[in-house]
Amino acid sequence: MTSAADPVVDATRLVKTFGRTRALDGLDLRVGPGEVHGFLGPNGAGKSTTLRVLLGLIRPISGTARVFGLDPWRDPVRAHRDIAYVPGDVSLWPNLSGGEVIDLLTGLRGGSEERLRRELIDEFEFDPRRKARTYSKGNRQKVALIAAFARPARLYLLDEPSAGLDPVMDSVFRRQVQRVSADGATVLLSSHILSEVEQLCGRVTIIRSGRAVESGTLAELRHLKLTHFRIEGADAGLLAALPRVQGVVIDGDVAEFDVDAADLAPVLEAVAAAGISGLSVSPPSLESLFLSHYSDSTGQVL
Amino acid sequence: MSGIMGLVLAQARRDRIVLPVWIMGIALLGFAVAGAVATEFADEADRAAIINVAAVSPAFLFVRGLPDGTSIGAVVFFQGYAFTAVLAGLMSTFLVIRHTRTDEELGRAELIGSVPIPRAASLTATLMLGAAANLVLALCVAAGFAAAGLPGPGAVTTGAAVGAVGAFFVAVSAAIAQVMPSGRAANGAAAGLVGAAYFLRGIGDAFGTPSADLTQVTSGWVSLLSPIGWGQRSRPFSTADPAPLLVLTAAAAALAVTVLVVRSGRDLGASLLPERAGRERAGAGGGSFLGLAWRQQRPTLIGWCLFAALLGGIAGGLGPVVSDVIGGNESLRGLILRLVPGSRAEIIDVFTTALLGIAGVLAAAAGIQAVLRLRAEEAEGRAELLLATPRSRARWLGANLVLAAASVAVVAVVAGTGATIGLSLSGVVNGPPGLLVAAALAHVPAAAVFVAATAVLFAAVPRVSIPLAWGMLAGGLVVGQFGELLRLPAWLQDVSPFRHSAAMPVEPFDPAAALTMSAIALAGAGIAAYLLRRRDLTA
Repeated sequence: MTSAADPVVDATRLVKTFGRTRALDGLDLRVGPGEVHGFLGPNGAGKSTTLRVLLGLIRPISGTARVFGLDPWRDPVRAHRDIAYVPGDVSLWPNLSGGEVIDLLTGLRGGSEERLRRELIDEFEFDPRRKARTYSKGNRQKVALIAAFARPARLYLLDEPSAGLDPVMDSVFRRQVQRVSADGATVLLSSHILSEVEQLCGRVTIIRSGRAVESGTLAELRHLKLTHFRIEGADAGLLAALPRVQGVVIDGDVAEFDVDAADLAPVLEAVAAAGISGLSVSPPSLESLFLSHYSDSTGQVL
Repeated sequence: MSGIMGLVLAQARRDRIVLPVWIMGIALLGFAVAGAVATEFADEADRAAIINVAAVSPAFLFVRGLPDGTSIGAVVFFQGYAFTAVLAGLMSTFLVIRHTRTDEELGRAELIGSVPIPRAASLTATLMLGAAANLVLALCVAAGFAAAGLPGPGAVTTGAAVGAVGAFFVAVSAAIAQVMPSGRAANGAAAGLVGAAYFLRGIGDAFGTPSADLTQVTSGWVSLLSPIGWGQRSRPFSTADPAPLLVLTAAAAALAVTVLVVRSGRDLGASLLPERAGRERAGAGGGSFLGLAWRQQRPTLIGWCLFAALLGGIAGGLGPVVSDVIGGNESLRGLILRLVPGSRAEIIDVFTTALLGIAGVLAAAAGIQAVLRLRAEEAEGRAELLLATPRSRARWLGANLVLAAASVAVVAVVAGTGATIGLSLSGVVNGPPGLLVAAALAHVPAAAVFVAATAVLFAAVPRVSIPLAWGMLAGGLVVGQFGELLRLPAWLQDVSPFRHSAAMPVEPFDPAAALTMSAIALAGAGIAAYLLRRRDLTA
């Protein structure tokens, strides 16, 4: 049995190969109870493969995966009892209506809560009578989301769930994540959209080439990063010469540079002492970290 | 114009495998029929005998077509033309719908629609490709007939008749593509029209007027409603009259132009019949694997049942006629008796037995198809949604196997019932009631072995399971049903489960063999469940 503090998702050193491709290459992922955990990475990093391993749909070559303390490969039925899943690429039965697909998927999980089902269909402005073959990508996504949220679960595995949704529907989706999270459910949300993760998630794991490269709370990750300074004034060039300053760009009497969190105090003193006419300081954005990991994989900043 | 030629080439490239297979298949069928008639009915008297009987038997006329003299060519045309024309119609149907409504439904047409070419350019290209395919088909059929030694003018006219029917259905399917909202619905409707063309021709021929010497029949007016009937009126091996074919081609051209006008004036994705709204809620059982399998299999199962009913009806309805004919033809009698070895039963029983054996193959095909649906669900990513729920893979497989087994039994019962009705309509009382249903059901255990083997293939080698499963059925059919005819060695024949089905009503029911095969099928299902549990889901 799992105690309250045990992680809901616990994957250690997962390796999965498809032919010559190493989709997962020693991936570690831990999601605690009640977390909304962002799972960030570029396309092809292994996010979907990880979720499939966690569902026991595919078996890792080595490493262990545990969901609610259960091995999803050996015991998929028990592991799935409290899981709601939205795949990245939703493919439906063309001859069934959206409403029928929702009833099918929730029925296999034990039946939907009528009130939730009705509210979700309203909120997502979804027409359940149309045949699935006529749905756009966004509408297919809605079918999977409504089916996932129409029956309470303890763990929501969402693979790029907001792809294809417009901003209004995206906010409906975010409200649903916040609702289930407030009810104590755990959410693992894979995405390559940073803003979505920043808004929803308390903890984040960044994955690249099948390996977790960063994991922690958003605050911790921000701490790793650089604060951006933009200074105007005659002595800007002098400031740029400080020892702990990085990435200097000087354009006339404007200087821009980045400072590591640990070095902020001495740099700020120097800035205060210098005669400057303008100053802007940008907080560390997750974006810069994200891009630095992305650019490693492609060789260039996106 | 160069844009359209580019589209023609692009579409032809997509069809570079499937079209040659259709064309060569149809041409080879014609060649094979011609060869078979030349050997089985080498004697003019034999041919005259079969034609004389056919000319006065509405059932025979309905199934085959118009007798048109007793030359080898005329008998070949009588035996093979209607089926060949149906195949040409289906080839054209699938070709046109694939490039029109299906492309539109799946959004591929939108890409084409964005380039600077006229709105109807893609449809024009498809019509041109269809016309070209049927021209090649006409040449190949003519070449096949000529290669089999039939006279040149008759061979060319036959080819032209088949090609003209195909071309007509190119235009008809293009019209259907404007009407129906989905590729599946359009394929169904257009293929249904091909079936209707065969049916109307059959009615017209069945009510035809035989000539005084019973070697020719002039079909009734109803067959004028059918393009296949028009093609038949060219009478390649007597008058070789091209006029009906010209009428057919002109009608096709006129229809094609109309369709182009309609296409130019409508929105992309719009259809004359709108997509019907579905149900807002799933019905009873809509939240279970079995309910889903039933929803998916139902339309296909109806198709298999219609096919089985037709086959059974033919078996029953033609039985008496055939037994009369064959009674007078020693070589054919020997051939038929070889289909059911070791018996000297009533010819009529042998005939129904053989056709019900084919119904067993049909039942197996329905079951195999139900199982292979699992593979489609997996390859198209829907299995992932299903198996992320707290239901085991074994249940998923099991639900579909239950449905496959039920499909097998239903198709067999329908075939047996069709045979019973056909036989009683032709006025023959033969054995106790329900005998033919039991005879059809006797093939269920063998069909179940195929279903289980398909499940094992799906679990063990998912990526190649579809071609392997159909190949297995084809192999089983050839070895088990025609093994004796082809004089294959006994051990090879014994590999096929069909070989171990009791050939009722000629042979008594064999409970031991039926039980053994049922046990093998159950074991196969267990093995499939075990293997499926141990593999990754693969796209």
